[in-house]
Formats: sequence, C-alpha cells, structure tokens
Amino acid sequence: MGELKVVGKKVERVDVRSKVTGGALYAADVQLAGMLYGKIVRCYDHAHARVTSLDLSEAVKCKGVIKVLGPKDVTQKEYNASVLDMMVSADMRGVLGDIDDQSIFTDHVKHYGDAIAAVIATSEEAAERAAEKIKATYEELPVYLTADDAKQPDALQFRPEKPGNLAFQLPEMAFPNNAYAWGEVDDSFAEADIIVEDSFYVSKQKQCQMEPGSYIALYDDQKRLNCWTSTQMPKLVQKKLANLYELPMTRVKIHTTVIGGGFGARLGMVLEPETCALAMAVPGRPVKLLSPREEDWLTSPSRHPGKYWMKMGFKKDGTPVACDAKFENYKGAYYVDASGTAFTTGAWLGGMYKFDSLRYRGESYYTNQSICGAFRGYGNPQTNFVMEQMVDRGCAQLGADPIEWRKKWHKTIGDDGWCIGVPYNSCALDECLDRAAEAISWTEKRVKYKNQTGVKRRGIGVAVMNHTSGAMPMLLEHTVCDVLLHQDATATINLACSDMGQGSHTTLRQVAAETLDFPYDDIHIATGDTDAAGFDIGAHASRTLYVGGGAVKQACEDVRRQLFDRAALELEEDASNLYMEDKIIHVKGASNKSISVQTIADQGVNNFMNPETGELIGQPGQIQGYASFFPPHNAPPFGATIAEVEVDTETGEVKVIELVNAHDVGRAIHPGVVEGQLDGGAQQGLGMALTEETYFDEKGICLNNSFTDYKMFGPSDMPKMTNILVENPDPTGPFGAKGVGEAGIVPPVGATANAIFNAIGVQILEAPITPEKILKALEEKNNA
Amino acid sequence: MTSRVMRDFDLLLPESVAQAITLLATHKDKAAVLAGGTDLLVALKFDYDIDNVVSLALVPGLDVLEFDSERGLAIGAKVTIADLLKSSDVKEYYPALWQSAKVFATPQLRNTATVIGNILRASPAGDCSLAIYALGGILTLENATGRREVDLDDFWISYGVTARKDDELTISLQVPAPATGQKSAFRRMTRVTEDLSKLNAAVCLQMDGDECTGARVAMGCVGPTLIRLPKVENMLAGSVVTPELLQEISDTVASEINPIDDIRSSAEYRLKVAGVLVKRVIKLALNEGNDQ
Amino acid sequence: MKKHAITLTVNGEERDLIVPSNRTLLDALRDDLGYTDTKYGCGTGECGACTVLVDGKTSINGCLTLAATMDGKSITTAAGLARDGNLHPVQQAFIDNDAIQCGFCTPGMVLKAVSILDENPNPTEEEIRHGLEGSICRCTGYTKIVDAVQDASNRLSGVGE
Ligand SMILES: Cc1cc2nc3c(=O)[nH]c(=O)nc-3n(C[C@H](O)[C@H](O)[C@H](O)COP(=O)(O)OP(=O)(O)OC[C@H]3O[C@@H](n4cnc5c(N)ncnc54)[C@H](O)[C@@H]3O)c2cc1C
Ligand code: FES
Ligand code: FES
Repeated sequence: MGELKVVGKKVERVDVRSKVTGGALYAADVQLAGMLYGKIVRCYDHAHARVTSLDLSEAVKCKGVIKVLGPKDVTQKEYNASVLDMMVSADMRGVLGDIDDQSIFTDHVKHYGDAIAAVIATSEEAAERAAEKIKATYEELPVYLTADDAKQPDALQFRPEKPGNLAFQLPEMAFPNNAYAWGEVDDSFAEADIIVEDSFYVSKQKQCQMEPGSYIALYDDQKRLNCWTSTQMPKLVQKKLANLYELPMTRVKIHTTVIGGGFGARLGMVLEPETCALAMAVPGRPVKLLSPREEDWLTSPSRHPGKYWMKMGFKKDGTPVACDAKFENYKGAYYVDASGTAFTTGAWLGGMYKFDSLRYRGESYYTNQSICGAFRGYGNPQTNFVMEQMVDRGCAQLGADPIEWRKKWHKTIGDDGWCIGVPYNSCALDECLDRAAEAISWTEKRVKYKNQTGVKRRGIGVAVMNHTSGAMPMLLEHTVCDVLLHQDATATINLACSDMGQGSHTTLRQVAAETLDFPYDDIHIATGDTDAAGFDIGAHASRTLYVGGGAVKQACEDVRRQLFDRAALELEEDASNLYMEDKIIHVKGASNKSISVQTIADQGVNNFMNPETGELIGQPGQIQGYASFFPPHNAPPFGATIAEVEVDTETGEVKVIELVNAHDVGRAIHPGVVEGQLDGGAQQGLGMALTEETYFDEKGICLNNSFTDYKMFGPSDMPKMTNILVENPDPTGPFGAKGVGEAGIVPPVGATANAIFNAIGVQILEAPITPEKILKALEEKNNA
Repeated sequence: MTSRVMRDFDLLLPESVAQAITLLATHKDKAAVLAGGTDLLVALKFDYDIDNVVSLALVPGLDVLEFDSERGLAIGAKVTIADLLKSSDVKEYYPALWQSAKVFATPQLRNTATVIGNILRASPAGDCSLAIYALGGILTLENATGRREVDLDDFWISYGVTARKDDELTISLQVPAPATGQKSAFRRMTRVTEDLSKLNAAVCLQMDGDECTGARVAMGCVGPTLIRLPKVENMLAGSVVTPELLQEISDTVASEINPIDDIRSSAEYRLKVAGVLVKRVIKLALNEGNDQ
Repeated sequence: MKKHAITLTVNGEERDLIVPSNRTLLDALRDDLGYTDTKYGCGTGECGACTVLVDGKTSINGCLTLAATMDGKSITTAAGLARDGNLHPVQQAFIDNDAIQCGFCTPGMVLKAVSILDENPNPTEEEIRHGLEGSICRCTGYTKIVDAVQDASNRLSGVGE
C-alpha cells in the first residue's frame, strides 16, 4: 500500500453541512401532497389482556376522520419484525426456530402499549381526538415479567409452538446439550483452586436515539407500496414488507430518509408494517405516522434484560480452567431477535478468554414487557457487565493484577474467535491495555486507592472486549455495490448501506476515493433508494465500513481495471505497464504517453465514434463497476477501557472521573468518526452501568418510557474522556479497517463496575449500579 | 399516555391584572393560569383537561424582581428562574435561592419557568420552592373581592394542592430581608445532573457568632408536600453547630420524614440519606459554598 | 377552540399566521411555516431538539411554548444562523470538531451554543457543560460538542487567529 491520500484524514463529513443548517430531511420532515395522518390506538390499561370488545363507532363520526381500522380491517398475516431470518440460509432458519408471532392489531394484548386499532384522519390532531373515542374492554390475564414467572408450569402460553414460553434456546441440532461449549466444563472445575460464582441482572436499556419513529407510507397509482422511513436496513425491510403484503419486490420501495440515530432501535421493521397497513387502506393517499417519544419507547426494541448466572474456575497460578454461564433473558411480548442475542451474548463470552473449557446456555422467555431486540453491542454489554466483574473477583482472590491477568489470558491471533472454528486473524489488545494503563497511571493508582477510609473513595477498574466486523459466519454477509463513472470522470457509488449518523457514508466515500485514486470531492455516495440499490443486510453488527467498504473497494477496483484496460487499448500498451497520477494514466517510463480519466470517461459516452469515418474510438460504453461482496472474515475489533470513579460512601453516589478507551480499530479511516463512535458508545455504556433501566410495575405498566423518567448521562455527567486509537491493520479489512460502531459501548460497562468494586470492595450484581444499591451493599458488608 | 398534540382549550390573553382576574372570576375551576407553562403544558399533553387557559404573557407589571434591605425580595408572578440568576442581590443575600436556581432544570426551562409557577405547582420536589420555604415567604393573591396574603407555611396543603382559590391570581411573593448573620443553603440529589430532585434540602440559619439562634430547615421528596423539620430546627436553635450536633441531627432526620418509593428513588434510601443531606446542607450554609 | 392571528418574525422574515390555542411554537414552525429544522424529540422539555432563540439569544423549548403567546416575537432557528451563505462560526466549529453525527440534536445544539456564548463569550468547560444541559445528544457523548463550543468561543473572540 502506498501512501494514503484520503483514508486516515479528517475530511469534512458528507452530511454535516445539511445537518448544521437544519436542511437535512428526516422522515418527519417529509411533506407530501394530500397527506393523511395515522394514530395507532394502544392498550395502556393492561400489559396482558384479551380484548373483549372494541367499539370504533364513535371514532368514525369524528371530524376529519377518513377511516378507522380494527384488527380485521388489515392484513391477517402474522410477521416477525426482526429481519434475522433473512440473513441466514433457509436451513439455518429452520434450525433457529424463528417464528412469525406479531400482527398489525391484536385482540390479545401482550405488553403495555400493544396495538389494537388505528385511525386515519386529515390531521394529526383529528386522528388523536378520534383515537381517544375508541373504546375497548378487556379481560385481564396474569402478567409475566421475568423468565421465572413465564416458565411456571401453569403459566398461560404465549404461542403454542413455544411450550413453556421458551421462545428460544440454543438448538440441540447445532449446539449439543443446548450449549455453546468447548471442553468438559464439569471436569475442568474439578481442577480449579478458586471458583467464583454469582447470579447477575442485566437491565432493559433503551437506545434513546434522538429521532422518534416517524414514517410515511403511500400505496401509489402504480400499485406500488412506498415507505419513507429512517430504517437501518432498507433492503431487508423492503423484502419483509413485500412478503407481508404479498407484493413483488418491484412494487415495494423504501425511501430511506436521513436517520436520527439508530443503535439498534431501527433494526428490522418497527412501525413500517402498521404504517403500510394504513396506507393500503387509503390507496393513493400518503399516510404519516409520528410516534410520540413514549410510543417509540414501547414499540421499538430495547436491550435484552435478564438473569445472567456465571461461574469461573482458576488455578492458583491464574490459569482460567472453566467458565459456565447461563443467560435467561426476558424477551418481551414477541419473538423478534430472540435467537440472535441469546446466541451472541455467549459468543462474546467465548471469544474473550482462554478457558480450558466453557459452556454457555442462552434462553429467551416470553414476558409481558415491550419487545427486546438489537442494541449496540448485541449482547456484549450484558456479557461485559458479568464476565468482567467475575474476572476481577477472580483476580482479587488470586492476588493478580487485573491488567496483567487479562494480558496473559485473553484470546489472540490463532485462537478461536467468538465463533468456534473461525480463529482471530489480528489482535492488538495488549497494546490497548498497555497504553490505557499508562495514560491513566494504573499502577500508581491501584496502589494509592488501597485501604481508603474517607467518605469519598476513589477506584480504578479495567475491562476488555472482543467484537466483530460484520457477522460472518453467523449471518450471510453480503453487500452489493455499483459504481457509475460519469462522463466528467466523477463517480457515484450506489449501495444500500444506511448512515445512521455514525459517518459511514463519509468513510465509504473515503474508501472509494482512495481506491479509485480520485479526489474525495469527485465521489458521491447514493443510498436510500431500494429500487436502485442492490442487496445489503443493513447497518448493524459494526459491518458497514468493513463489509460495505469491502464492496465499495471491490466495485471501485472494477472501475479502475476497466479504466486501465481502456487506457491500454488507446495507448497501445500493456495495462500492467500503466500507472495513474492525478487522474491521468501514464505509461511507465514514457512521460509523453498518457490519457486522462476524463478523456476515457467522456469518450465512452459522448465521443466513441469518429463522426466523419464512423470508426469507433476507444471502447464505447459507460464504465460501471460492480461488486457482490462477501467478506472473508469478521476482522475482530478489541478494546479496553479503564475507568476511574469516586464513590460517596454516605450516599452511594458515583462520580465517574475519567475514562480511557483504547481500541484496536485496525485502521481509522476517519479518526474523528472513530473517536465519535467511542465517545458516544461510552455515554451509553456508562448509562448501562449506572443509570439506565426501564421499570415496570407489578401489573406490567411501564413506569419510565420518557426522558423525564429515564435518565441518561448528560453533558455535565460525562467524565474526562481519552481515546487511544491503536492502528494495527487487519489483513481483511478495507485498508485494514475494523468495525468500531459497537465497540465503544462495551468495555465502559465492565470497567465502571470494576472501578466501583475497587473503590468500595463490594460488587454490585444488578445493573444499573444505582446509589440505592451501593448503599445497601455497603451496609450488608458492614453488617457482615 | 402522552400525545404529540395538546388537548383543546381556549387560550385567553388578558392585558392587565384586572382583566385576568375578571377571567378567573368568570371561569373559576374551568380555567388554569399559564405562566411559563413548563408544568401546565406538559400536563396538557397527558391526561389533564381544562377549558380555558389564562396566559400572563401580555399582563404588565408582574415581572418585578426587587430587593430592599428592609422589606426583602419581591418576586413578581412572571419572574423566571433565569431572572433570579441574573440578580446579584439574590446571589448575595439569598444563597439558598440562588443555588436552587443554578441547578434548576435546563437553560431553556430556566428562561421560561417562573418562580411562582414552581410554588403554585405544589410539587414535593420543587427546588426553588424549597429554598424559599427555608427562607420564608409570603404570597400575595388577588381575586375580584380583593387581595390577601398567605404565608408559605400555610400554603401547600397536599400533593399539587394549595390554599389558592380557583379565582385567585398569584401576584407576587415577598421573601423577608436577611438579618445580619443569616446563612442559607440549598442542595439536591438527582440521578443525573438534569433531573427532578430525588431528595432536596434547604436551610436558613440565623447565626450569632458560632451560635445558631434560629433555623428553618426544609426538605423535599419525603412526603406529599415540601416539609419543615421542626425537631431539627429545635436542635439547631440556641446551639453551637458542632460535628457531634450535626451527627445527632443527621440521625434525627429520618424520624421527621415519610418518603415513598418512586421512579427516582426508594423510601428506604431516602430514609437513610436524608440525614446526610441535611448535615451537608447545614455545613454548606456555614461554610458558604463549601460543604466538605 | 379559539384561534389567534399572530405575526412571527422567523429568521428575519415576517410571517402572519392563524393558530389554534393549543398549537405549540414547535408545530407552528414545522407544520405551518415549514421550519422543519426545529425538531420534536420528546415534547416534554427534556431533550432540547425543539430549541429556538427569542430575540436572537434566549433559548426556549418550542414544544413547551404556545405559538399564540409569541405574537410579535422574533425567532431564530438553525436555518437562520448562516449569513449570505456563510455558516455561523458556531456552525463551522461544529463541523470542524466532528461534533455532528446523526444531526438530530444539531439544530438545537448550535442554537444553544449561540445562546451560551452570547451570555458568556469565554465560558469554562464546566460552564459549557452546564449550559448544554437540556440538550440531549445520544451520539457524541458531548465531548466534541464541548470542543466545538470552546472552539467557537475562541473564533468569536478572535483568539488563535
Ligand atoms: C424538563 C423539565 C425539568 C424540570 N426541572 C425542574 C427542576 O429541576 N426543579 C423544579 O423544581 N422543577 C422542575 N421542573 C418543573 C417546572 O419547570 C417548574 O415547576 C416551574 O417552575 C413551573 O413554572 P411555570 O412558570 O413554567 O409554571 P406553569 O406551568 O405556567 O404553572 C404551574 C402551575 O402554577 C399555576 N400558576 C402559575 N402561575 C400562577 C399565578 N400567577 N397564579 C395562579 N396560578 C399560577 C399554573 O396554573 C399551574 O398549575 C421541570 C420541568 C420540566 C418540563
Ligand atoms: S421536543 Fe422540546 S424538549 Fe424535547
Ligand atoms: S448527533 Fe445524534 S443526537 Fe446528537
């Protein structure tokens, strides 16, 4: 690789000008002629109930109402809002047991806020007012909020296909004894000198992307179903909607608008099916559906909460001999991502340390909570909270330094990665740990913070993580990219990858510019149109730069090859004897023999024939590059966070003083983008560790589905942040890059928990670690 | 459940106090007064329903914020939290009020939310209300039959309920002038910086050298209304504030409060920590800004 | 429901409109006048996506303001900050410091930054953070936003030029 011209530079992001002036159009900003407004009627009286009567008659009479829809007025097909089933092979789909268990409107309410009907009206206000007039009566059913509730033998069954309300467990066929495992765990524990074991709770954290769900759908005059949405995965949503409404893909179009944050909340479908159902009821009229924040909360997926048990065994010399774990998650009302997260939560565990043997069991139980699905990290923050606290407990008993222990026992190149059988091909975690430790003066502070006695006590803790760039081989990783070389020698890159704000259109453009050796300004990334863009599985799994970038690179290489072939033809030279500089292709060693890209591009389109002779000039036709790209690997990102906290032992309050995040990013295509991912991830990781949880009362009524009641770290709460980007190019990533979209959220979770442990000498087993829990734990410690 | 669209109501825009009072006399319990609207408009997006909203936007004369060394601080019905923060008198003479304003809500909210609206909301968590409760205050209310004054000590009746009659407009609030040696402070605990209090406390101590000659100690989030802690006040009055006394006070607080579990904290925690908070706010008052 | 005829000066342009009593300033700006740069994020005063400036400096929540009470007022939205095609120094600082990700908070954030610097041209980091409360960003962790405000402060006061 020669010197990089665009990659690694802080170029201006493609989208920031329109965002800073407010010109960027998000779904709610799109206004179409003849727009109607939808309002979904939800059950806010119960979390589990059967609708015994539904009276729409008063609503129909309201001013401005066009139509009122009950459960029977829309498609009767069931669906699964998740798209996981579209990213695996047909065989695997059967093994995983994903089912369709959602309907547009239901007469069996399974969570607070389940949808029972809808109104379409001429204004938002008219729709709201009419919706209030819809009267339903209910028969209350028992409410199940935890796995333990749901698995009681006499519990009402959510789905006949899922006995015991066990929506998912690792399937025997692929995972003997329903476990993700290697070695003989029980035997290994027999060799352990030290065993640590505990049961944890991980919380129902919400993405809280700033743009609440907003959708427009239009069943147009060509009988095409259009949907404007800020989805993370346009191509899969297109296919899902086509399936649901039994339309060919040519008649379903997703218009991806600017996306106001995703973090998993827009993975798969959210309210696209409902909005489309409304649009199908009023052909020719666009229908807009704007969720209030509180509705968005209940209808988009959250992180999977649940009970997470773990046991680890070590030899006296620190050797990790065995790890046994079980995650029973509280799935919520519908299946959605039941299989995916239940597996990956264990995959991240398996990918971290060199235990002689390991067994992980993951089970998803239906509960009467709002749905869970993807959230940045996809199981990894949960595992980090538990695994890293267990490791530190082990280190404490071993008398080992937590950094030294981790350096010795983390998996590295050649070891099986998070997927058994796919070994790691790069790893710079040691460098991450060393540099982070130095940046925060780890050794000095670990000594200094021993035996504190004051009211306020400092603590310092570390956590590490492994993740993935794209989900190969778990998912069928695939992105299609077309490159159109215009006659003026600029290029449009067409692909379906969404930019949720993470900066991927910028980094993809950098990859294109670097590969083509064109200036950054000569490239445009066209996305958002599912008519034009080829297949892609969406923006998730830290895959957009790695897989999307791989596709862009391959398609641009195709363009370059064609350019060189045409130049070779014109210059009557062998293509291998040519080189390009400033968009001019030269013959090596013959400075006077050259042709510009501009000439080639223009010739192919406008000047391919001599008007006098009719002879062809060069090779006619517009140059287009194409790639249907399948990544060879999953370029594992690694990272370490060291957190320093101060705990007030009289109030239990925690102040986070500093976070140092050191990440093995392969290559930072755009350092500002990478830092931004780590900063933003850390804010969410700290929230998971310290403040964020969705609460329900015993009847299943959600108590804090709003920013008033659910609290995230704000500007004054954030600590001093230091990001260290360790650039150790991955052999398979575009220019060596790994995915960093999710990594940032993960290790701050465990590091914060461990820093608190270091400060006060007790571990808090339930996330979030609130002052209430800390004080209680301190009291118990003092009483013991 | 919330709606993106507010409930229907008629917005009335009187242009004088007299007009406002006439409107309140006409509509009585069918009207709500709109000051900054940061409580009222949120309620109107939820289940609260009211036919008429009487806005103070165009009413002149309600934005006085005046300090007089004898009469004390006069706060008009339209004075915002941001106005308090701009006043050097508030900062100098009423540290508790200034501190409560400083951490109150958000800059946008502080620019619109009024001090009197905070009091009229009768929330058991109100921050400025609590500071003023410790400092002492008298509200002036007016209806068609005339004006009356109500001491804050008698104003909050239960959660969200005050001694204000439906047809009364609150005109202003008078906070007494600080005597020499008065020290006050406010402190709150929240889950994150921007939040409603999960526990707050304010004190106003009359000091004569090292001796405290009189004290008002108020707490929030520990009952249906803001409350005062009479036992603690008695312990302080006539005493030198020693670490031992502070510890005794800290141990006493729990017996004076009756907190509940809610989304922001638990009764158990509040019982445990309230004493710590009171101890710290007293120290803060005495050390004028430094409670460590 | 009563309707009110009002005049708003938005980004320097005078606009007459008739609003029902319950219309928020946010909805009036977005739906009646097309200023979709002002965003709805929560409707309850928590997130600041709906922030606008009154008289070019005082930040308020559009979602908790009745349009009908704003007759005769001058409102600035993010779309009104640029002058003659040149971005406001605060906007430029947001771009240069990578302070923008999904951008949904950005219009409110830049207005907030303008108001912070109007009140205090040389704020400390702590003052900037305090001033940014009430504007939620879920993407950036605020670090780069704080940097941007600091940078804008320097630009506006001519430091480092
Ligand atoms: C995001 C957010 C954060 C908040 N944070 C805090 C916080 O940190 N601390 C805190 O204490 N509060 C907080 N609040 C609550 C609120 O901002 C305060 O209670 C505020 O002071 C209310 O003042 P207002 O002028 O906005 O009241 P309004 O909403 O206008 O009125 C409140 C009540 O008082 C009545 N009222 C107002 N003025 C009069 C009058 N002159 N005569 C008769 N009745 C009157 C109204 O009818 C209404 O019932 C917060 C609110 C929000 C939305
Ligand atoms: S929309 Fe106004 S503060 Fe969130
Ligand atoms: S940039 Fe996305 S919320 Fe701030």
